[in-house]
Amino acid sequence: MRSKGPERIAVTAAGVVTPIGQDLDTFWSGLLTGTDGISQIERFPVKDLRVGQGGEIKKLTRAVDWRRVTDCRATRLLVSAADDLCTQAGQRPLDVGPERLGVVVGTALGGVEEGERALSGSPRRLGRALYDAPGHGLARWLGARGPIVTVSTACASGATALGIGAEMLRRGEADAVIAGGYDILCRFVMRGFDSLRSLTRDRVRPFDRRRSGLLLGEAAALLLLKREREAGPRRLGTLLGCGSASDASHIAAPDPQGRGIERAMRAALAEARVDGADIDFVSAHGTATPLNDPIEAAALRRVLGTRAGAVPVNSIKGAFGHAMGAAAALEAILCLLAGRHGQIPATLGLAERDAACDLDCVQGAPRALRPRLSLSTSLGFGGCNAALVIESA
Amino acid sequence: MRAPAIRSVGLLSGWGRGAAALPLDASRAAAGRSMLAVERPVLDPDRFRRSRRECLMGVAAVSAMLEDAGLGPEAIVGDRTALLFSTAAAYAPSNREFIEARGGSMYFPYTAVAAVPAEVAIEFGLTGPYEILVGGAPATMRAVTRAAALLEMGACDRALVLSVEVFEECADLFESVRPRFEGPLVEAAACLLLEPGEGILTLERRRGRREDGSARRRLGEMLACEPLAALALARETAGEGPMQVDGSWRGETTHLRWSGSPYRTRPRAA
Repeated sequence: MRSKGPERIAVTAAGVVTPIGQDLDTFWSGLLTGTDGISQIERFPVKDLRVGQGGEIKKLTRAVDWRRVTDCRATRLLVSAADDLCTQAGQRPLDVGPERLGVVVGTALGGVEEGERALSGSPRRLGRALYDAPGHGLARWLGARGPIVTVSTACASGATALGIGAEMLRRGEADAVIAGGYDILCRFVMRGFDSLRSLTRDRVRPFDRRRSGLLLGEAAALLLLKREREAGPRRLGTLLGCGSASDASHIAAPDPQGRGIERAMRAALAEARVDGADIDFVSAHGTATPLNDPIEAAALRRVLGTRAGAVPVNSIKGAFGHAMGAAAALEAILCLLAGRHGQIPATLGLAERDAACDLDCVQGAPRALRPRLSLSTSLGFGGCNAALVIESA
Repeated sequence: MRAPAIRSVGLLSGWGRGAAALPLDASRAAAGRSMLAVERPVLDPDRFRRSRRECLMGVAAVSAMLEDAGLGPEAIVGDRTALLFSTAAAYAPSNREFIEARGGSMYFPYTAVAAVPAEVAIEFGLTGPYEILVGGAPATMRAVTRAAALLEMGACDRALVLSVEVFEECADLFESVRPRFEGPLVEAAACLLLEPGEGILTLERRRGRREDGSARRRLGEMLACEPLAALALARETAGEGPMQVDGSWRGETTHLRWSGSPYRTRPRAA
């Protein structure tokens, strides 16, 4: 039961660019129909890697004047998602004064590909290699002159960005905030995960008995946040709570007991003034690594309590891989769209449930359910954990 | 929002340890050097065998902060301590090494921005709220306001705001963008221990570079570390009145202002 909490923050629009769709409707339709966004990577060489597939966006298809946008793929993904957001909002430019529009984006990799290009003979790209460069590029395209913030809590970055964006509105620093996350596929990150032997040669199978690792994907996902009392009738839902916690356990692996993600979930629920038993749907991190999924499942069972076995769970990683800094924002959007359309997409790649991941994972076909309250979980390198509680409109 | 109190400050910089090592004029003190590095802190070689220099600097800054407070590590362990980390470029050396060595033997997770705060969290057992911001001085000021918000809403009892900047391994790259910087590049690691306080904290922004660069004139270019170093510096002379630090980044200037003195303690004698 909710008591009076922090000022409610509405999500009035969202925009995405993903391997399964470059607008919100196509993305949602792709999730429902089980579109597979995994393919052989073509944009850069991968022949020397163990695994050369991932969720690659083959061509950016939105009708954007790219001459106005820096030649940086990360920035262009952000602009594509923002262009979709403006379309969804029915406002171009957005109906808010430039000085009152904030931008908060999360990323695991920032402009690192620009660093790769700078070091291989294009030194003018060096300034774009800083991780906060794409966020400023997005702000320029939007004409936003309010606060511009970049966060980098690894693969939990998108959730952290939404929490900071909400706080920015509660403090009156802005009247609207575009918040979310992004990351691109590039040699740097493919080589990195390849060296860790984290990538699967099979398909991504979240919570499946045969899961053998993750694949990476690229995407950007942005949400338009406003104070609820000023948001008007058109909205996707409400961001009720955001929590974070450190594992203090290992530089890369999650805490074996999942205590960090449990603390993050409990913090998000506390801010939302709701209980684990109130949650109707979970958009899980679900990377499909042997280690992550049972740890996350056990933490979810502790938080959801006696209803844990009856709460539907989805992971979008099976559809186009782990979108890193974009993942949490995409998952937040999934929660909102599930509430709007009354359907929970199936987890692509899940066929044989693992008893060690004892959750009600939706598989095979979408399930008819209109969640009111959803929980989204995110974990990342460096012991980063974050969780969101989202209320559907 | 309610202003947090500064319980203690830890500072290592290319000028030496603590605020007392900071010069009156960075350019003059640099004597022609364009970059001043911090030596790799000497910490347990087994425990930190894979750790990078920037991670060790973060750990050393927190140790210095505890020493300044007269506290042991048990005072900050657990889930009631928040950790907020900021940097503009501490990830640059690891990224470069990974790119140029084509993978090599470097452990990939150390390329993450989160590597520095992760090592700090592991070393001190910090399991509370955890946020990482990227950018120059305004990112650190934002981190201070996030700490204040977490304290105000009761999400933690204390908060560490930590910033680290390293330049040495990428000195040639920074040299190529030299005109963007005022004074010498000065490596640093700085940490504040914040507790619930009184008064009001405000964060204000305006377009353009700041006019008064007095702190930077003394500190040199410390990027994200600048506000924390400026707070360490001001503690030596601060009275009971309002306190403000400024910082510029990407054409914007940010002011962080306490309505009264933020300091709960004076610097401990060396």
